[in-house]
Amino acid sequence: MVRPLTAIPADRVRDSDLIGESRTDPEAFAALFDRYSSMLYRYVSRRLGPEVAEDLVGETFLIAFARRDRYDAAYADARPWLFGIVTKLVSRHRRAESARYRALLRSPAEEMVDFPDDRVASGVTARSARPALARALAALPARDRDVLLLIAWGDLSYEEVARALDIPVGTVRSRLNRARKKVRAALGDTNPMHEEE
Amino acid sequence: MDDLKLLRDFGRELEHEPPASLARQRGRLLDPSARSRTARAGGPRRTRNWAMLALAAGLTAAVVTVPTVLLSGSFDVVKMPDGGSRSAGGGTASVTAGPLNLLLIGSDTREGANAEYGPHMTTDGGRSDSMVLVHLAADRKSAQAVSIPRDSMVPIPECRGADRKVLPAHTGMINSAYAEGGLVCARRTIETLTGVPVDYAIAIDFSGFKGMIDALGGVEITLPKAVDDPKAKLRLPAGRQMLNGEQALGYARLRYALGDGSDIMRIKRQQVLMRAIIKKAADLPTTLRLPDFLKAARASITTEPGLNLEEMLALARGLAGMKPSATTFMTVPVRPYPPDRNRLSWKQPEAGELFKRIASDSK
Repeated sequence: MVRPLTAIPADRVRDSDLIGESRTDPEAFAALFDRYSSMLYRYVSRRLGPEVAEDLVGETFLIAFARRDRYDAAYADARPWLFGIVTKLVSRHRRAESARYRALLRSPAEEMVDFPDDRVASGVTARSARPALARALAALPARDRDVLLLIAWGDLSYEEVARALDIPVGTVRSRLNRARKKVRAALGDTNPMHEEE
Repeated sequence: MDDLKLLRDFGRELEHEPPASLARQRGRLLDPSARSRTARAGGPRRTRNWAMLALAAGLTAAVVTVPTVLLSGSFDVVKMPDGGSRSAGGGTASVTAGPLNLLLIGSDTREGANAEYGPHMTTDGGRSDSMVLVHLAADRKSAQAVSIPRDSMVPIPECRGADRKVLPAHTGMINSAYAEGGLVCARRTIETLTGVPVDYAIAIDFSGFKGMIDALGGVEITLPKAVDDPKAKLRLPAGRQMLNGEQALGYARLRYALGDGSDIMRIKRQQVLMRAIIKKAADLPTTLRLPDFLKAARASITTEPGLNLEEMLALARGLAGMKPSATTFMTVPVRPYPPDRNRLSWKQPEAGELFKRIASDSK
């Protein structure tokens, strides 16, 4: 039931090869766009909404294209590299992002009532947790939020996040822990049923 | 329940599917000029505003309004035809990258300020009195403006009317697409008909047209003979003269007093007028009464999909480099429609070839 945001078929040309090829044949870079533009669009649409997403994705690839010479071919998968650029661009909209989450707090109350039975049984649902999550995301420091969302929404591993943000893996871990602690605290505030792990 | 799991569910709720227009960003990637434009893209350059305005005015009466609307800093929300709105602050470069096709519709709602020109009409879209498909080349160095006679009998695809009622596909006059289904339907009709993807459909109200010409201080045209047309409320002597907004509007709508009374002649006059507007805007930028112009422009433009401030700015920037003389005005090749000689049908294969050229330049 969990649809991955990103899925990579095993048998295909490596991203790094495409990037290498694009140094002499710029058209090859378009293949990278075809591969990842939708994924990045979805990710940005979650953080900033659809209005900004299209342009931001376009810009991401332009920046990536301009820096393609510097791509380290040792990494076959270009996703962390692209997510790193996306994250920098998203950070320009930091205030809009927080405002977006806060706006979700004001969404109509009836939405909260209507959950499917199986979820009611679990006590906590994404819907009921929504205000708490929105509030927590809005309040997180940008650095912690970047890490948390690259893991939760970008489906990157700790190592990939480290590469994307150019920080040590240890820093990824500590930022993630800090962010999750705050999210759990926010969930706990609104859901006495919620059990701490 | 796991906090990350909750967060993932939450993320899926917030997610949007990529629109088809995302493909434009791909074009941007492969277009060297767009790449360099982006590299130095900054805010609007104040020093070029007048030139930008004048040159952007260069396209058609309707496109004139686009850059000017954005020159007013207070502009923040574009009303969409369906009553929704979209806040500014979104994308920037999709309108500057690659080729761009605009469907411009001179609408005649005859409501409010327009009521004096005819009986009050309540249909949502109003009549489209002129339709122009504008194609901007990818390098923005040239443009083609193809006028589409409103009398054209064409297949109109299924659309949704103002009351959300589904209007079945049928053959009808092309201007009924806008009258019955609004911008969305007009755009779909043109796209289906021509195979040219329309990036933005822009409707401009006649009353706004009037105000804009007045703000320009009138436009100069030469009439081959005197005009006296009560229907268009227009009396003008022959020769070279300055028309105010009211007169220019009358001239544009004139159908019977000059030429052979056909829609084609009317289109020719509208093209004459567009050129006159371009010339005026280019020659006398500093005489422009900007506040009036803006007011007129802003009140009378509707776009589909909604253009936000940044997109309009980007569009204007794209137009800034274009010379008025680089715009080619054309009319869809037509012949009388066999079942009704007072209507027109598109002449094939000429019409098809014209749009095929535009469509292939739009990839």
